Amino acid sequence: MLGEIRIAQLTKAFGEVVAVDNIDLDMPPGEFFTMLGPSGCGKTTTLRMIAGFERPTSGQILLDGSDVAQVPPHKRSVNTVFQSYALFPHLDVAGNVAFGLKYRKLTKEERRRQVAEVLELVQLTGFEHRKPSQLSGGQQQRVALARALILTPRVLLLDEPLGALDARLRKDLQVELKALQRDIGVTFVFVTHDQEEALTMSDRLAVMRNGHVEQAGSPRDVYEQPKTTFVADFLGVSNLLEVESIGPDGNGCALRLGERMFRAEQGDTTARGQLKAMIRPERIVVEKHKDGADGDNRLPGMVEHAVFLGGSYEVHVRIVGGEILKVTVANEGSSLKFGLDQGTPVTLHLPPDALRVLEPDPEPPPEPSEEDAEAEPAAV
Amino acid sequence: MSVFRKAFYWLRNPWGKPRWLAIITILYILWSIVPVAIAILFAFNHGRSRTTWQGFSFEWFTGPTGSVLHDPDLQGALKHTLFLAVICVLLSVPLGVTLALGLQRWRGPGSGTINTVMLLPLVTPEIVMGVALLILFLDVFPGFGLGTRAQAIGQVTFTLSYVVVMVRGRLVSIGPEYEEAAADLGAPPRDQLRRVLLPLLMPAIIASAAVAFALSIDDFVVTQYLSGDASTTTVSMLLYASARGAPTPALNALATVSLVITFATLGLAFFLYRKIAGGSGSDTAQVAAMEV
Amino acid sequence: MGSRWTWRALALPGVAWLTVFFLIAFYAVLCVAFGNQDSLSQPVPFWNPLDWNVGYFLSVMHDIFHNGPFLTVFIRTIVFVVIAMALCLVVGYPVAYFAARHAGRWKGLVLVLLIVPFWINYLMRMLAWINLLSPGGWGTRILHGLGIEWIFLHLGLLSNPGGWLDGQQSTVILALVYGYIPFLILPLFAALDRIDQRQIEAARDLGASSFSAFLRVTLPLSVPGILAGVVLVALPMFGDYYTPDLVSASTKTNMIGNQIDEFTRQGSEKVSGAVLTILLSLLLLVLMAYYLRTTRRAGQEAGAEG
Repeated sequence: MLGEIRIAQLTKAFGEVVAVDNIDLDMPPGEFFTMLGPSGCGKTTTLRMIAGFERPTSGQILLDGSDVAQVPPHKRSVNTVFQSYALFPHLDVAGNVAFGLKYRKLTKEERRRQVAEVLELVQLTGFEHRKPSQLSGGQQQRVALARALILTPRVLLLDEPLGALDARLRKDLQVELKALQRDIGVTFVFVTHDQEEALTMSDRLAVMRNGHVEQAGSPRDVYEQPKTTFVADFLGVSNLLEVESIGPDGNGCALRLGERMFRAEQGDTTARGQLKAMIRPERIVVEKHKDGADGDNRLPGMVEHAVFLGGSYEVHVRIVGGEILKVTVANEGSSLKFGLDQGTPVTLHLPPDALRVLEPDPEPPPEPSEEDAEAEPAAV
Repeated sequence: MSVFRKAFYWLRNPWGKPRWLAIITILYILWSIVPVAIAILFAFNHGRSRTTWQGFSFEWFTGPTGSVLHDPDLQGALKHTLFLAVICVLLSVPLGVTLALGLQRWRGPGSGTINTVMLLPLVTPEIVMGVALLILFLDVFPGFGLGTRAQAIGQVTFTLSYVVVMVRGRLVSIGPEYEEAAADLGAPPRDQLRRVLLPLLMPAIIASAAVAFALSIDDFVVTQYLSGDASTTTVSMLLYASARGAPTPALNALATVSLVITFATLGLAFFLYRKIAGGSGSDTAQVAAMEV
Repeated sequence: MGSRWTWRALALPGVAWLTVFFLIAFYAVLCVAFGNQDSLSQPVPFWNPLDWNVGYFLSVMHDIFHNGPFLTVFIRTIVFVVIAMALCLVVGYPVAYFAARHAGRWKGLVLVLLIVPFWINYLMRMLAWINLLSPGGWGTRILHGLGIEWIFLHLGLLSNPGGWLDGQQSTVILALVYGYIPFLILPLFAALDRIDQRQIEAARDLGASSFSAFLRVTLPLSVPGILAGVVLVALPMFGDYYTPDLVSASTKTNMIGNQIDEFTRQGSEKVSGAVLTILLSLLLLVLMAYYLRTTRRAGQEAGAEG
């Protein structure tokens, strides 16, 4: 059992609307692969094409080397966990889980044994005779998992399975799912719009937008080395600065921000002209303000307000030019070197190896409300 | 306070709900139901009058002569009505269910037209249908003739639409996901239908069968138009023909029996529906909102 | 999920049935209306539209537009339906309103009681009134005792004491109201039930009195429901012939339905009957089209505002 998927030039058009536009993706066997993006980006459509519920307009879906794009869903050794679980209401848990077993030649005893085994795997032993309506959301999700896993698929597809659950349960199940995947070694292809979820669980992920793959790679790589402003903004929080790239500087490039010069060593440092630079909040260093504040890569600012997040503060600092930078400051008890009250002057240090030059965004940024809604981490 | 002042304030209560609306509603319900209740009452009258109460008796239901049980005309009408109702259900439910399934899944041109044609009988006055079918069976297919066959066909033609509408409503709320899940788990299309869709559809099918049955029993115009000789008289037709004559309370009794059968069928279907749908009807998403 | 044609094939039997027993049947009416009549007054339908003979159609139209008896019947029917419909609304709207908005814990029970008449045989309901309004019947006696009979006599709505079932137009109209009002109340109820309570609360919050909120918020929002209910009830009411037949044995109260029935089922002039049927259908088609257009426009306006 391998479970490798390669997607080649896959396109799906619904009449005029192109939901998936000529994408290529590699999903190595045995890994937890996530497709991440805002609603409408094509991730669910791609998943459905892998499952077989949509027929591609063109392209290939190679499962362990053979193209399954035209194979009907009941003949693919790929199984799905649906967003709403789709448990059969008229069957009990055992009936649901054993549903697919009917198409294998097994004795009744065999069937019962396998059902018990898989229920133990998802920690639902003893629930055989309950009806889906008698289960909680988390339990239903596990039945859906069991129902799919009992058929030992090569690949398991999960369509935002944690979307309907509350935050605490979601976090618990994220850990459980990840552990489960590691245990049984089946390739998981996971779809979500929650970037925190994707970062936590995936071995590899692909960020999608408007039917294209913006970037694919390991979570760390995509987070620390985003190629475009969209990816930078979608994964985690980013600070974007409008800068002008003047020329080379050391092993990076020189950026002009207002009247100050900065050195940036990340990203495409050979690009010139008006650009965007990005730095993560946790990489900005806050220093006590010294008049005439200087030093390389520093700029003065004034604290707007500080959001207390428990383990840290997210400090909003207004800099020259009017922009606000978000800075993460660890909560070290009362021993902060500076105050965080509104109006406190501070100096921000932007280390060159954390300052990244981004590709100009080819498409106009989507509506701010949509983006904020999607990029917001799950509410605590 | 005197009774009148109390009543006055009760009526004029500015914070409470408008009392006069409640009064109108109660009066309407009484006006709506009491006349029928009185008619049922007189079915149990001890004597021939339908306007003067002469005591309680079952004679018009089971008595030796002139009762529903023993009068050949009344018996015949009742039997024929039930026969037609059964035929109607046996034909209109399969036709309606298949039409609903086909229509719901029909992608592409033609579905709009068929949908409209399917809905037309619901808004067509029965007399138009009666005339049309009359001409159909006399002039288009000369020799087909009127009678039981024609009556059955006429009834099926308009109950069909009710079945389709009811089943399709349920289909829409079921959605495509369960069949997709079944396919995902290895079920070929026939099994998707048999093992998943039809069981989920069963409550609606039962309900529509009950509705078809009740509609058939109560039908008048089409049934009358397509009737042949006296042996094809139904309860409705008998009521119509005898109403203005000087009938005995046996007519009331017949109407009461028909009423009881209708309500019993509907009641049975309602309970069956609840029993089947109760255990399976909950929307998964709804339950998912209920946490541990 | 299975080829398209498997699903379409499923629909085939139902479609075939409706085609033959509905569409072709209606076409047959057209062929008879535009056909001919043989010496035995039996219709000779013309199946080919190119052969259609407008003779009988024109003669009926002539009768209508030149003040023949058909015109009287048409006008009488329209008057009956309009008055009956108005009365249905006057009584039905408050009841539906109560059931939808103020019934509280009685809502279920009220709804059941409103639905019950649906399933009682229409003829039984009329039979009940025939019993009550016959000379000596309880209804006649109560109406006499309460003075209502006196009122009707003096308004010219009743021609002789106790003669409720003797060809009285008022009886027919009231019978129509009794018969059809349950079919109006339920769509009204559905429409009123759907109105968001919060919109009314907003109006009250902004200072409207209870009555004013009703007039300016609830009533306008319920108009689509009113239209739907009215159309749903008017269509069968226009084709009704059995109600006048039952509660008034006289031709003085004949509606279009009676005329058509006389011509077709009772066999006197099938071709004219077919023509009248076509005319009735046209009239109803106009009603339906008007209804569809107003609801579509209302839907667009609501969409634009929303």
